[in-house]
Amino acid sequence: MPRRASTLARRERRFAYALLMPAVVTVFALIAWPMYLIVSISFREGKSLNFAALGQRPFGLGNYASVLTDSATWHSAWVSFAYTFGTIVPAFGIGLGTALLLNRVFPWRRWLRSLMLLPWAVPGVMVSIVFLWLFDASFGVVNYALRSLGLIAVDVAWYTNESTALIAVIVPTIWKAYPFFTLTLLAALQSIPADLYEAAGVDGASARQRFANITWPGIRGPAVLALILNGLWAFREFDIIFAATGGGPAKATETLGIRAYNEAFGYFYMGRAAVIGVLMLAIAFVFVLVARRELRKEFF
Amino acid sequence: MKARSTVGWTALVALLTAILLFPLYWMVVTALVPTAQVLSREPALIPALSDVSVRAFVVAFTRKPLATWLGNSLLVTLGATMLSLVIAALAGYSLSRFRTRAQEWTGLTLLFTKMLPGSLIVIPFFIMASTFHLIDSLFVLMLANAAVGVPFATWLLKGFFDGIPRELEQAAMIDGCGHLTAFAYIIVPLARPGLAACAIYLAILTWSDFVFARTLINDQARWTVTTGLVSFIGEHAIDWPALMAAGVLTMVPMAVLFVLLEPFLVSGLTAGSQR
Repeated sequence: MPRRASTLARRERRFAYALLMPAVVTVFALIAWPMYLIVSISFREGKSLNFAALGQRPFGLGNYASVLTDSATWHSAWVSFAYTFGTIVPAFGIGLGTALLLNRVFPWRRWLRSLMLLPWAVPGVMVSIVFLWLFDASFGVVNYALRSLGLIAVDVAWYTNESTALIAVIVPTIWKAYPFFTLTLLAALQSIPADLYEAAGVDGASARQRFANITWPGIRGPAVLALILNGLWAFREFDIIFAATGGGPAKATETLGIRAYNEAFGYFYMGRAAVIGVLMLAIAFVFVLVARRELRKEFF
Repeated sequence: MKARSTVGWTALVALLTAILLFPLYWMVVTALVPTAQVLSREPALIPALSDVSVRAFVVAFTRKPLATWLGNSLLVTLGATMLSLVIAALAGYSLSRFRTRAQEWTGLTLLFTKMLPGSLIVIPFFIMASTFHLIDSLFVLMLANAAVGVPFATWLLKGFFDGIPRELEQAAMIDGCGHLTAFAYIIVPLARPGLAACAIYLAILTWSDFVFARTLINDQARWTVTTGLVSFIGEHAIDWPALMAAGVLTMVPMAVLFVLLEPFLVSGLTAGSQR
């Protein structure tokens, strides 16, 4: 009897691993191995158009030295931070506002909720293109609206002006990012028991007190988690910026992600691009370490 | 009183939705009115119905190989979605039912893929593809998209399988059914809503992909629709109506899929649902 049980257990285990095999192979071949390549390329100096021969180039820390001492790298890091925080803070505000509005029973709620969340499903490149048109210097509706309101006298060339380009890529990113907050916060709001609000009503609590003492404690955990995930997403966002400006004008919108891509496919400095990528991962990793308490529930 | 306040609430939410969706509305309007009206310093926010024309759509299809691009996108999306879904369903089921060492690694793998920038991982993909002369292969593009989709899809499906009682397949196995047969005939049909939601999610991600498509495909006849859309911008004078028409056609399938997916989004897959 014990022998039979153990062969059964062994068969079960083999079955469990067999089912996992395709996923494990995928992750190793298409994520772990590429990551190994990135790290190994980051130590290969110089540039080569013969990518198969990258492994024969001299080994050294030259890429790290040149990238980390380049002021353009730190400029890009700053742009990345400005872009990330400039995106997630307003997006969180819109997400919280819309979630509070949707957390009620009213006619057509299902359809309005779907419509409100729709920007999440719009491809990043398309978001970028639609806003390029809205922010067009001569014929865009944004300049038209600002002219009509008397806020500007001369057309603003949003995407070609160094001082406005970052704003002009942040706005579409906010638009794509807010539904994720709406979604997570709405789910959290719906898990708050209604009798808490009833009790607060009996005690005569004001709207502000109800928000501070019932609503916010109820959604705090999911809110922090959503901020972290959306922050990680904005930090590595590529499509929206690349399609709108490619990092320009004069590097005003060149985040680390864009810079890595331009180094790799604009100048073919694969090694330097890999170093920037490693740097991005290191920053994201620090970010995750700081937030590990919130993430633990979700991922470990 | 109560009825009036809920109607007022609907009006408020509808107004806000209209403001938030203005960019999409404007895309559709631009695609439907003649160029002369589009390139105006004072465009009409609500165009007259008599001005509506589909000329921009015709232009988009005749001046650019838009049909080919949409077809390529469809092919890659279907391929990558099916591939990731099968791989993730098997792995998700295994993780849901058996304790293995892999369990400790799934959370970390998922978190890592959430940190991994697309513009970084595409570098080794490009190097591998050019080493094996596989640039311009739509199959490689499918693999690249599947790679980033599998970890999240596995995690999502594990959650769905967790919700299906084990007694069901145990009963089938007592009746002499093999484990794999029990999975295929008992569990998969029950998990159909979860599989559908996951497939829609993967399809939206793959359809939206730009960084892999732009880097791994050079030949214009093999571009996907996102690369195609961006090629409009590089031109000397951008044909906005044609570009917006192409945008509408890119958006429609995603909007339909999204409305189907949305109830699942709210009810279950909250936390990780962002690539």
